[in-house]
Amino acid sequence: MRSLDRKLLRDLWRMRLHGLAVILVLACGLSVFVMSVGMRGSLERTRAAYYAERRMADVAVSVVRAPDRIVRTLANAPGVAALETRISGFALLDVTKIEEPATARLVSLPRAGRPRVNDLFLRSGRWPDPAHPEEALISEAFATALGVGPGDSLAATMHGRREALRIVGVANAPEFIFVSAPGELFPQPERFGVLWMGREALARAYDLDGAFNEVVVRLAHNADQRKTVAALDKILRPYGSSGAYGRDRMMSDRYLTEELHQLSTMAIFLPVFFLLVAAFLVNISLSRVIATERANIGLLKAFGYDDGAVAWHYAKSALLLACGGAVVGSVVGVWFGGSVASLYQQYYFFPKLEFVASPLTFVAAWAAGFLAAGAGAALSVRRAARLAPAVTLQPPKPPAFARMPGPIEAFSHGLDAKSRIIMRRILRYPRRAGATALGIALAIALLIVARSFPAVMDSLLDVHFAQGNRQSVTLSFVEPREMRALHDVERLPGVIYAEPFRTEDVIFRHGRRQVQEVIVGVPEGARLNRVIGREGKAIALPAVGVTLARTLAAKLSAVPGDEIEVEQTRGRRVRMPVRVTGIADPMLGGSAYMDLSALMRLMREPGRVSGAHLAMDPARHSEFNAAVKAIPAFAGASFVTLAERATRKNFDDHVGLMIAIYSAFAAVMAGGVAFSAARVTMAEQERDLATLRVLGFTRREASYVLIGEIAALALLAAPLGCVLGTGLAMWLMQLFQTDMYAFPWVFDPSSYAFAVAFTLGCVLFAAFIVRREVDRLDMVGVLKARD
Amino acid sequence: MVSPSPPAYRVRGLTKVYGDGATAVHALRGIDLEIAEGEMLVLLGPSGSGKSTLLNIMGGLDRASGGEIAFRDASLVAMDDHGLTRFRRRNVGFIFQFYNLIPSLTARENVELVREIALDPMTAAEALDLVGLADRMDHFPAQLSGGEQQRVAVARAIAKRPAVLLCDEPTGALDLKTGVRVLEALVDISARTRATTLMVTHNVDVARLGDRVVHFLDGRISRIDVNTRRASPSELAW
Ligand SMILES: Nc1ncnc2c1ncn2[C@@H]1O[C@H](COP(=O)(O)OP(=O)(O)OP(=O)(O)O)[C@@H](O)[C@H]1O
Ligand SMILES: [Mg+2]
Repeated sequence: MRSLDRKLLRDLWRMRLHGLAVILVLACGLSVFVMSVGMRGSLERTRAAYYAERRMADVAVSVVRAPDRIVRTLANAPGVAALETRISGFALLDVTKIEEPATARLVSLPRAGRPRVNDLFLRSGRWPDPAHPEEALISEAFATALGVGPGDSLAATMHGRREALRIVGVANAPEFIFVSAPGELFPQPERFGVLWMGREALARAYDLDGAFNEVVVRLAHNADQRKTVAALDKILRPYGSSGAYGRDRMMSDRYLTEELHQLSTMAIFLPVFFLLVAAFLVNISLSRVIATERANIGLLKAFGYDDGAVAWHYAKSALLLACGGAVVGSVVGVWFGGSVASLYQQYYFFPKLEFVASPLTFVAAWAAGFLAAGAGAALSVRRAARLAPAVTLQPPKPPAFARMPGPIEAFSHGLDAKSRIIMRRILRYPRRAGATALGIALAIALLIVARSFPAVMDSLLDVHFAQGNRQSVTLSFVEPREMRALHDVERLPGVIYAEPFRTEDVIFRHGRRQVQEVIVGVPEGARLNRVIGREGKAIALPAVGVTLARTLAAKLSAVPGDEIEVEQTRGRRVRMPVRVTGIADPMLGGSAYMDLSALMRLMREPGRVSGAHLAMDPARHSEFNAAVKAIPAFAGASFVTLAERATRKNFDDHVGLMIAIYSAFAAVMAGGVAFSAARVTMAEQERDLATLRVLGFTRREASYVLIGEIAALALLAAPLGCVLGTGLAMWLMQLFQTDMYAFPWVFDPSSYAFAVAFTLGCVLFAAFIVRREVDRLDMVGVLKARD
Repeated sequence: MVSPSPPAYRVRGLTKVYGDGATAVHALRGIDLEIAEGEMLVLLGPSGSGKSTLLNIMGGLDRASGGEIAFRDASLVAMDDHGLTRFRRRNVGFIFQFYNLIPSLTARENVELVREIALDPMTAAEALDLVGLADRMDHFPAQLSGGEQQRVAVARAIAKRPAVLLCDEPTGALDLKTGVRVLEALVDISARTRATTLMVTHNVDVARLGDRVVHFLDGRISRIDVNTRRASPSELAW
């Protein structure tokens, strides 16, 4: 080994704690990068393979009732490569082991053979036998949650008729990778799932003999989806079509796409933080090494090494650290990805989901690591390369200090000399002080961001449930029914109060924009299901006109006062102009709201409601559940209280883990920065500290100069971190915001207190580790040396 | 002869060993010495003979390996780290070859530093005036010449009116003219404050400034000369 390389290793060993800080900070950033980019790739590839293999639909459309004979016409529509007609509906399930009835989405299987579009992946059991209409397949998560499997029976209330079903297999489908009940935030597999049954059985249950109510289509290569959609709409219009739509409106795919989007955000956001800090750490530690090696540099140059060789010698140590960070980051990233993949398997049902990061991901991670370390090294190495040999062989002059700007200087005169040392040093090295404070501030910001998610989620759930959805159960009728039916509902055991509602699928048009959405009819003085306005407070609906969710209004580019057109997608296809009279801010979804009677009048069906929200006596839940299971009039029952509980628990479980990870990251960042800064301060001030000790200052008094500098920077960093954290949290919420969710930023003082206290704790811990060196200070040795 | 007052320092059989085993260095091999209050003592000897080691032990910066050393009847050997710190704080002014000023503090502030921990200090202006730097008080070390920096160091050392002034080659890094100025300040001040002064030097000429000259050789005192007349710094010629 060349002696220079031996020196390099000795240098690295000497600055091993610095090196460790660099490696850890790099590893944090790169592991998140590898995890999120790798996970994104894995999800995308797995989804693409699954879609291709099981022929995921590109376009789907629901109709009220279309006869089988138009299938040929549909198949001849432009761009259609394959299509499947089917019957789809909802059913209430009575599973003996579970008290509340569950709701199932029912989907028919072809009369013969496997579905040509949206084929299934059979996990266990076998396909239903067309000769046995009671046989059904069940979706995997549903089966697991209900504790049923092949051979088990359950009772289903389909379209008002109670039937006994027998499970013969467990399956998944590309259209149901992610399954959540309509209007729910999170999947609740024990409340909602999918059943596949024979076509004839469902035709009988839904009175659709020789007919279908859903079409799923796979497009040909190079097909123009818009043309196909238009053609399908034209053909199906007479049959009560609610409009064909693409994957962007298929729930499962939409969730996946959003998840991918969030992974992309994650892949940039955190790593950038950490790479910046790593670059800074490399810079200050290398600068320190170079400062103490002026003489060596002079010698190297005197021996004839050129500037490039000298620069390379010092850059090598940075690159070695980058290697270390990249190795650790890659290994941890793969482990991290594996655990995220298994977490995903609780929500996304693929035949198989594995975390596989592509080679390119690693190449990018390593490149980013080298880039950060290289950038950090470049600044300090350049200075080393430029030192003239003659200069390096002379002892350095005492660093030049100057008086501080007037007011600060005046302020400092009220302080003791040691505090003045601290202030002057901070002002003398503003870049380093700034970078140190920024690093600490970033750690604080990171924690604020991490903690703001639960705070936002909490407030989102509070608003959604405590303000907007206060019912414990929502019952939906199979078809809109007379108000009279409400009395039957009120008479169910345990019902304290029933509040009617009506939902209507409509197309909104404003100018050239058009959006398909739901109008919810809310009775005047609603107590349970209320419309949310600004600030998360329930608002009263105007007696006339329609109130649009903010996202919907934006999509339509409509403001209060505008007149928009509403067209019913089924039934009478009523088409009417309506005035926008308000804007709502629901946490979830982007529907429109109208006064219940106004909506019923608009749809020319006065007195017909879609269902009721119920306030319940909790003591009589069991009785109620039993009664609902026995009554065939309901198409669905949604247990809002249970949903809230499940959602919160679900969230708490994951948030705990996330906070732990982020806290560890923040600790690494704050600790690494503080440690390096304190080490450098210590090295620079060794002589001053020894002088103070010689003069008779105690260890504690001398340490104050060291700790004080870091503490002062940390205190400067605290407000900066709070501001940064707030900005980043707001920005991230903005990024995560979609048509489906509102992510309102909320101020949560406890998050800020925690972020600041935790980070300052890490900083002080790092500073006190370095402080111990003051105890070991060799006063005589330090002062004997020239420098 | 009965001494009118007890000695400032009483040193008996003092030894100092660095390291152990084969690599042990015997820096001091048994020093016996008494130093009177207010005396000006010069330590002379070849490099490595143990002068700095003795000075550091006397100043409470380092510990003896054996023997006894007492300052005004208080044994330094018995003091713990805290006791030594307090001893330095109350009694000792140090001046080193390299000035060891705090670069981020002005001349005045460097002096004021010790005022924070001394019992009856001079003002910074007084101390700097004594070394002839009253007009440079607000300059930072980087703005001062070596001799000026050393004079600031002298001012800082004497500002607390120390009982002992320990100077380890105070003019080692200076040229003749500047060295003389520093020595003038030192001698003048130690006379005024009646501080017991120990000065290490390599310069035989400088030795003429002392009441006594202690010659070191190989960790031992080889000889003690008594100067019948102390020279003044201006008489020195290197
Ligand atoms: N920290 C130490 N570790 C080991 N040996 C030491 C240490 N400090 C001093 N020595 C040794 O002790 C001996 C005496 O050193 P000291 O510094 O007292 O000499 P000195 O008389 O002041 O010399 P100089 O005139 O060169 O300053 C020397 O041999 C030196 O090498
Ligand atoms: Mg010496």
